Amino acid sequence: MVSRRAAIAAAVAVPAGVLLGAPALVGLLRKAPRRVTGGFVDDGSAVGHALRDGTRPAAPARRERVPIVILGGGVSGLGAAWALAREGLRDFVVLESAREAGGNARSGEMEGMRHPWGAHYLPVPDARNTLVRELCTDIGLLRDGVWDERALAFAPQERLFQHGTWHEGIEPSFALTRAERDELTRFDATMAEWRARDAFAVPSVECAARTAREWRALDRQTMGEWLTAQGYRTPALRWLVDYGVRDDYGASLETASAWAGVHYFAGRPAHDAGPLTWPEGNAWLIARLLERVGPRVRTNAPVWRVGREGARWTIDTADIRYEADAVIAAMPVHALARVLDGVSPAPVTLDRSPWLVANVLLDRWPEERGLPVAWDNVIYDSPSLGYVVATHQSLRTEQARSVWTWYHAPVERDAASARRWLRDLSWGEARDLVLNDLRRAHPDIDGCVARVDVLRYGHAMPRPTPGFLDATAALRAWQPGPRFALAHTDASGLSLFEEALERGVSAARQVREALRA
Amino acid sequence: MSGRPVVTPVTAALFITVLLIAACGLVYELVAGALASYLLGDSVTQFSTVIGTYLFAMGIGSWLSRYIGKGLIARFVIIELLVGVIGGFSSTILFLAFSYTDAFRPLLYGLVLVIGILVGLEIPLLMRILRDRFDFKDVVANVLTFDYVGALGASLLFPLVLVPRLGLVRSALVFGVVNVLVALWSTRLFRESLPRRGWFIGVGIAALAALGVGLAGASRITALAEEGLYADPVILARDTKYQRVVVTSWKDDLRLHLNGHLQFSSRDEYRYHETLVHPGLAPLADAARAAGRTLRVLVLGGGDGLAVREVLRYPAVQSVTLVDLDAEVTSLFRSHPRLSTLNAHAFDDARVRVINADAFVWLDGAADRFDYVIVDFPDPSNFSVGKLYTTAFYRALARRVAEHGFVTVQATSPLFARSAYWTIVETMREAGWQVWPFHVYVPSFGEWGYVLAGHAPWTPPSEAAMPAGLRFLSARAVPALFDFPVDMGRVAAQANHLNDQVLVRTYEQEWARINR
Repeated sequence: MVSRRAAIAAAVAVPAGVLLGAPALVGLLRKAPRRVTGGFVDDGSAVGHALRDGTRPAAPARRERVPIVILGGGVSGLGAAWALAREGLRDFVVLESAREAGGNARSGEMEGMRHPWGAHYLPVPDARNTLVRELCTDIGLLRDGVWDERALAFAPQERLFQHGTWHEGIEPSFALTRAERDELTRFDATMAEWRARDAFAVPSVECAARTAREWRALDRQTMGEWLTAQGYRTPALRWLVDYGVRDDYGASLETASAWAGVHYFAGRPAHDAGPLTWPEGNAWLIARLLERVGPRVRTNAPVWRVGREGARWTIDTADIRYEADAVIAAMPVHALARVLDGVSPAPVTLDRSPWLVANVLLDRWPEERGLPVAWDNVIYDSPSLGYVVATHQSLRTEQARSVWTWYHAPVERDAASARRWLRDLSWGEARDLVLNDLRRAHPDIDGCVARVDVLRYGHAMPRPTPGFLDATAALRAWQPGPRFALAHTDASGLSLFEEALERGVSAARQVREALRA
Repeated sequence: MSGRPVVTPVTAALFITVLLIAACGLVYELVAGALASYLLGDSVTQFSTVIGTYLFAMGIGSWLSRYIGKGLIARFVIIELLVGVIGGFSSTILFLAFSYTDAFRPLLYGLVLVIGILVGLEIPLLMRILRDRFDFKDVVANVLTFDYVGALGASLLFPLVLVPRLGLVRSALVFGVVNVLVALWSTRLFRESLPRRGWFIGVGIAALAALGVGLAGASRITALAEEGLYADPVILARDTKYQRVVVTSWKDDLRLHLNGHLQFSSRDEYRYHETLVHPGLAPLADAARAAGRTLRVLVLGGGDGLAVREVLRYPAVQSVTLVDLDAEVTSLFRSHPRLSTLNAHAFDDARVRVINADAFVWLDGAADRFDYVIVDFPDPSNFSVGKLYTTAFYRALARRVAEHGFVTVQATSPLFARSAYWTIVETMREAGWQVWPFHVYVPSFGEWGYVLAGHAPWTPPSEAAMPAGLRFLSARAVPALFDFPVDMGRVAAQANHLNDQVLVRTYEQEWARINR
């Protein structure tokens, strides 16, 4: 009796012991499971939220007379400054609330590797886009019609994870039925035709103004409605279009205006050598702009009141009251509404898309299936936008470590509740969101990641919802006072570098003309 | 059979036996899992299936133990001997099976099953042997306690000591010895109740001898296994930070393989390196000597020092800078007797400076200018190495070359990868170089291609310009190198840029056709 019980006990206990011990043993052979560090990065929202909540500092003691004040040091503000400086002007300042200029093109660094925190590329501007080409020539990207090879995204540029492996390009073209393939071809052909007819272009304001009624009608429906009306049902195509509007506008098929959705596909050349990109993303472009206008930029200078005093504008920061003849507002309209005092408010408000960006430090590369790691890496059917490899533009042949910048536009909720969700998100939840998403394509990602830093944007960009063409036209016509120009991309509705530059430069022109008059 | 058990030397010895056999059992399992992961990859799958099979086999062993009625001690000793020999040689068998047969997986799971069944028999039998000496509750408690302690010991020893110090082949053999020693010790502990004791001792000693021979030849076994992968005996194998370096030798033929790709054979490497270095350097050295000037030479890649050996033939060469990523390769070729003989101790020459750096980044940051540059990188088989064959690279290179200087670039085979070769030529041309494509036949490689390039006109070297001691190249033969037969002749090609890497795609397609 005893022996049998002993035998049973042994038969149960020994394997059970080994079984319980096995994971630990396997763990000993592999790298120990690691603790992922990280945290939230300051999003600079404290200043804006204090204004929203009614905080008003005391009036500043010092006064400074400056003919032109630019509110905001993002791309549109610096673009306006660049335009003024090119005309030889020195008597202006740019007031930026954050520690560094750059706005959505800000960047960071992890263990010596630079990475973007927001906008990270500039599509190669085609011949029609003379303004951006002028800037590129000015900063040495374009010489005698040849683009700086080191700034063009290195090959492979884009890949898509679908059916368990990586494919080149982000258009799903794998394992489709003939009918699905035909639909994709039909969509591409339509976009190509409209592109050829120059119906959509960057910058959008000019093209929207001259665009025919036929295409303006697109702005009365969502991209999803338009696709359905045109008989586009293929999930792969609808995913691709949804990806496009999430990527550029933080919107979805259900919220994006069809005009904006089509613009994403028909506004730029289909095949070019680009895009232009840098390890730190568009912060590289910001640095070039600052080389030209840096001394005129005042950071850590949040503006809390903009009003009129006689014939002049008065702009209050914590310690200085600027007295200006002209104001270029290169800040979003919802923030502007908090600081404008005693002048007519903006005629419309725009929905704004919240964003979540994470930078992930990897100290080894995950295993790969299919096409090797690309610059832009997209996971099919993921709620995220995938990741960009910040070290991709390195000239090194061997890179032990890397930083990946992971983007997510939470479009499954409406903008306001997505903002609340973001606000209440803990860092641990954000980290899991990032790693769970990456794990879809990289099962071994946990062994590779050392750190996850997260940035939450409550109001990253205007959302081009149906009717945005009229709404932004109303914003452009808005004149709260003399010698005032709105430079922000809110005035075009498309938050793109080219749009911001064009808005900034045209605001600078507007103000110069008003000053001459 | 009541009251507190008395701990006698015999019972203490028995519990140590439990501890040892538990450790042995676990080590075999870990060896099988680690070996499968190492050879097949995908460690999660390998460990899961090995552990699963092993535990299941132990269950079979435990179940089978009921059919062992009498002669418990004799059976126990037999099992220990079997576990010792089979477990001990398990990694040896698996290593060789991987290299020489297609039966690795069946053998792996077969061995795991057999060892698992035997190990599964051990503990039930021991418990039954011990039940006459203790209360059942004490038997269970003590046996399982020592079993787990042994498991812990083995699991810590394995990654911390056994794998790094002994390697997988020796670790299994060492624990095989432990099992056999346990068997021999058991024959002593139970000498009263063990029939035919002498026979058991004899078998045990024979098993020990076999394991001892295995241990003595363990390094030869690993080498033998690698020889299954390489045609010739392996004389050196090393994993560096960047690659696996294997040197094989057959009689006087020394071959270097990086990540399984042949880099050179000592039988004909002089053909490759003389052709790489002299057509471009000889005219420069001749002009320098006539003018009383000296030359500065840069070698990118080529950590084997064989190109440097050729460069050092010229007295006019004042300095040679070698930039190679892998410090372990350059130090190997500096210090290994046979390898440093091959490069004529090039790295000991006072004119030579070795820099271990990523070539493109180093080139970008360098301030020096060189009269002659040799670019001897691995073939453009992936997007990482492909960066070193782009217009961006050749433009950066141009900034480091003196006005009258030349460069020679190794440019894969114009026969096997014809488009890839002419793509490299076109890339250099687009980057602003004047190019002179040429090629040579190297028996171990086949037809091989180079590109000589400069910004000043190049004329072939005279006989007087060629250095003494060459085994292959003569001034008379140089012009012929620049003549391309029809099947290797120029084809239309697009230049290779960082943002398209057309070369990597072309190269991949062309070699895939050859290697099918």
